[in-house]
Amino acid sequence: MTRSLLGILALSALLATGSAEAQDKKTLAFVVNGASDFWKLAEAGVKKAQAELPAYDLQFKYPEQAAAAVQQRLMEDLVAAGVSAIMVSAVDPKSSTASLNAIGGQVPLFTTDSDAPDTNRIAYIGSSNTDAGKQAGEIALKALPEGGKCIGFVGLPGADNARERIEGMKSVLQGSKVELVDVRGDDIDMTRAKRNVEDALAANPDVDCMVGFYSYNPPRIYEVLKETGKLGAVTVIAFDEDPITLGGVREGTIAGTVVQQPYEWGYQGMKLMAAFLEGDQSGIPENKLVIVPTKIIDKSNVDAFEAELKSRIGG
Amino acid sequence: MIKKSDLWLLVFILVVGSAVALINPRFLSPINLSNTANLIGLFGIFSVAQAFVIISGGIDLSAGSVIALLGVLFVDLVAGGTLPPGFAFLLVVVLGCAIGAIHGFLVARVGLQPFIVTLCGLLIYRGIARWYTEDGTAGFPFDASFPWLEWLTSGRLYGIPHSLIAFAAITVVMAVVLHKSVFGRHLFAVGRNEEAARYSGIDTRRVTIAAYFICSALTAIAAVFIAMYTRSISPSSHGNFYELYAIAAAVLGGCSLRGGEGSIAGVVLGTVLLQVLQNLVNLLGVPSSLNFAVMGSVILVGVLADRHLSTRPNHTRRQARQSSVVVRSVG
Amino acid sequence: MSDLLLTLNRISKTYGSVTVVDDVSIRINTGEVVGLVGENGAGKSTLMKILGGVVAPTAGSIDFDGEAHPRLTVAASNRAGIAFVHQELNLFDNLSVAANVFIGREPRKGGLLNLVDEAELVRRTAPLLAQLGADFSPDARVADLSLAERQLVEIAKALSVNARLLILDEPTSSLTATETERLLVTVDRLRSEGVSIILISHRLGEVERLADRVVVLRDGRLVAELVGTDIAAPTMIRHMIGRDLKALYVPPAAAPGNPILELVDIRTVGRPDRTVSLDVRRGEILGLAGLIGSGRTELARALFGLDPLLGGTIRINGEAVAIDSPRAAIAAGLYLVPEDRKLSGLILEFPIRDNIALPSLRRFARLWMVDEDAVDVEAVRQRDGLDIRAGSVRMPCGSLSGGNQQKVVLAKWLSMAPRVLIFDEPTRGVDVGAKSEIYHRMRDLADAGVGILMISSDMEEVIGVSDRVAVMHEGAIAGILGREELSEHAVLTRAVGREPVHSE
Repeated sequence: MTRSLLGILALSALLATGSAEAQDKKTLAFVVNGASDFWKLAEAGVKKAQAELPAYDLQFKYPEQAAAAVQQRLMEDLVAAGVSAIMVSAVDPKSSTASLNAIGGQVPLFTTDSDAPDTNRIAYIGSSNTDAGKQAGEIALKALPEGGKCIGFVGLPGADNARERIEGMKSVLQGSKVELVDVRGDDIDMTRAKRNVEDALAANPDVDCMVGFYSYNPPRIYEVLKETGKLGAVTVIAFDEDPITLGGVREGTIAGTVVQQPYEWGYQGMKLMAAFLEGDQSGIPENKLVIVPTKIIDKSNVDAFEAELKSRIGG
Repeated sequence: MIKKSDLWLLVFILVVGSAVALINPRFLSPINLSNTANLIGLFGIFSVAQAFVIISGGIDLSAGSVIALLGVLFVDLVAGGTLPPGFAFLLVVVLGCAIGAIHGFLVARVGLQPFIVTLCGLLIYRGIARWYTEDGTAGFPFDASFPWLEWLTSGRLYGIPHSLIAFAAITVVMAVVLHKSVFGRHLFAVGRNEEAARYSGIDTRRVTIAAYFICSALTAIAAVFIAMYTRSISPSSHGNFYELYAIAAAVLGGCSLRGGEGSIAGVVLGTVLLQVLQNLVNLLGVPSSLNFAVMGSVILVGVLADRHLSTRPNHTRRQARQSSVVVRSVG
Repeated sequence: MSDLLLTLNRISKTYGSVTVVDDVSIRINTGEVVGLVGENGAGKSTLMKILGGVVAPTAGSIDFDGEAHPRLTVAASNRAGIAFVHQELNLFDNLSVAANVFIGREPRKGGLLNLVDEAELVRRTAPLLAQLGADFSPDARVADLSLAERQLVEIAKALSVNARLLILDEPTSSLTATETERLLVTVDRLRSEGVSIILISHRLGEVERLADRVVVLRDGRLVAELVGTDIAAPTMIRHMIGRDLKALYVPPAAAPGNPILELVDIRTVGRPDRTVSLDVRRGEILGLAGLIGSGRTELARALFGLDPLLGGTIRINGEAVAIDSPRAAIAAGLYLVPEDRKLSGLILEFPIRDNIALPSLRRFARLWMVDEDAVDVEAVRQRDGLDIRAGSVRMPCGSLSGGNQQKVVLAKWLSMAPRVLIFDEPTRGVDVGAKSEIYHRMRDLADAGVGILMISSDMEEVIGVSDRVAVMHEGAIAGILGREELSEHAVLTRAVGREPVHSE
């Protein structure tokens, strides 16, 4: 009895402070699709934006599980708590149109990372995964002038970001002697991710090149190649900026990695939302796509890139 | 110790293996066998662990989360240089023992249902692991090298992965404990009929606690091996569903979820089958999204076949309920 | 005298080369109680399964309503108004009495919603309970009822389908004397209302009292049909086993010696306000009689360490022992043969040998490893010593008959040199032959110096086996009777607190 009373008191105190805050400052929320180091960079960008937007309270939210329902509930709670705008990396944009629209009907909704073009979102800010895939194809063409057979590794082969990257890469490779013959999925289980690489190597000893489409895939490729002594013999093409990936790039055993700029999404995205709330829509192009280009990191620029990362996460 | 149902499972594995080998001969290549053996070792250790709890009549749903939490701790302690690897290993195993002791205490002393206790464990340990790294990935930095630790956990001896050797050693010890020791016999008795075991003067609580203790301690060892295999752990996904791999292996191996039934040999074979299936999906180019569906179907077929082919315990039970007329005259 | 209800006409049933029922003809009249007796294995259960439509006879017919049926289906059996009350009750103890009575045939309401009409359910159940003289409500949860009350629920269930023939299989095996009495009255009443009853019972006294006619089966054949004054226990027993049982009571070989088990002011969780003081002397069988709820089982549980001992002292061989768990009791040499052997006495799925070795595994262990050969040797020794009828000690206990199962429970303890053995209902559900073997074994143990405390609700057993009888009433000893003062009347008057027997 006493305990439940205390609970109610604590809860009402919480609500009181929450609404007090909502009164003085507008809250902008950045909702990601799950926990990963990748989003730490976006969080750093949001922090930078916060310094420049003192009139706003910027929140960075992780759903406790990478599930559409969990994310949806998180957003509903945010709306209920009175946020002014939400930027979201939707877990499952394709089948969540209705529920995203419901959120977008109450507060301005922006998408990032993975777009939901069929919804009432104001704009998308992020990479073009197709462009990123094309860049990966360029690395492959450069690294394999004689042509070769590639196998890809990814978490969820059916997810939009994976499909676009794979299709982008294939579109560049079309007509060349380089071929992406198979892409293995692992359901974001690192043990399976590593095992997939091992099995691919066992099943195709003549493979020339391996592509890691999700951030944790290249390190698994790197480890297996290292353990089997094939490091350097097989060309590795990476996405994202896992420390092992960057180490491999510096060492020259990974041909290159295509990185997104989540820091910029966080920074620019928040500024964009604040501007939108103040009535300034000049930052939103006709097609409602704010593309922050992806970059190719290879041996030549890896050190500079790493220094930049450190300064951003450190600061 | 080798039961008829285990033999059927072995035959089944050989049939599946031969079929895969016929379609893709690389299945039998030394490197593939060695890789598969490594994974059998990794998954086998905590599957054998699970068997102890299942035979006691319980279940441990927290195995995957324990693997994530202890793995994160281990990698963090070692990568950060906080503790020498040996001490970190010891610490992780001690923590595993503590977790098992707590589970056992809550089940045997407090009287909570194992499903509930370990379901809460599943949530709690996963949550702590994510909080500990602030949802980041715990990993070794590039170029990090711990020669003897790596040799011990991921080295290979004439192509035989050390994880398999560790698994074999653990299996032999645990098979003796389960099938030859007084404790093992008591465990079967408690799992099948706790009341009768208590009436026979067995300290049923101590037996139950010991089962959870063994389970979590072995899972801790597995956590270190798995952590050293992936070398990088994202606490939100690491080890997800691994408890189900373990339960599936145990069930395939003839463990009854009602308790009191099962063998180490069966669990080993169950693990082998599950890993061969994973290997099959990759070697035969089956779309990887079908992975779980293949696994589920094969387990179902295996369990159905076992029920059909081997003598059914339910059958004897039904007979026992009938009046002894039929039993006496027929049997 | 009455109309013919049903005839079993030259029924036979064979399984392969084994004949289980051999050319049996029985007629059953309306409003008649037919006693069906015979040892386990005599063919009673198969015959009843044929009546229930579960098993088809190999030859013969079942005639009713003027038609001869070569076999009955379950549905036809129901239509003919045949209802069973099994020895093991089939009730859902999480549901109410009314829900159990109409399970699967619930009155409905609400059209497509298909809701249970609770009011109608209760309304229809109440008269059935009244007919049986039950004093609990249709709303009562079955879990809260005693065994005897549950049995009435089963009978109510049978009556609710307008049963014309009620088959009672060992209805009183778990009832106390008073409860049994009430059930017998109920059976009488049903008979007077025109219901025919087949009564299967090992308790021949009840059969003697109730049956209008007794059919005795032996080895699948009908060996006698008794009426009138021929319905007497000695006659029935003679036909059942083909010989007279020797007078049950065997006196001890020597006069009882010093107390081996002394209980001083024992208080148990059953009745914390009462104390029990009792001695069991070396070489004697002390019977412990009393109604259910009188505290006998609670006393046994406390002595064996299953329930905490709230006060008092237990001395074994003159030495005080602290017993807080079955382990401690066993360490002190005090063992319990529990009432419910299937639940507490044995692990039915385990082989005989493993059950025998279970409490004493450490004795068979070297370096904590079980010496399987030693277990086998001991198991075979016990099997031969107790005449456990099993082909192999590796057979699961579940495949044994009740009597042989009980012998396995006994074997567990005999292999461990008991000082005191407590038997709780030692022969419940055990057939006549195995019963007398168990009694002889108890006597041998007593003669070998083991103190034996036998809890029993079976008056024949209490009087026929005990050297002395302690009677419990409401948690305390109401009297201790020596052999010479032992009689049914003497025991019962003390069991009910010195009131006349017929009171409740």
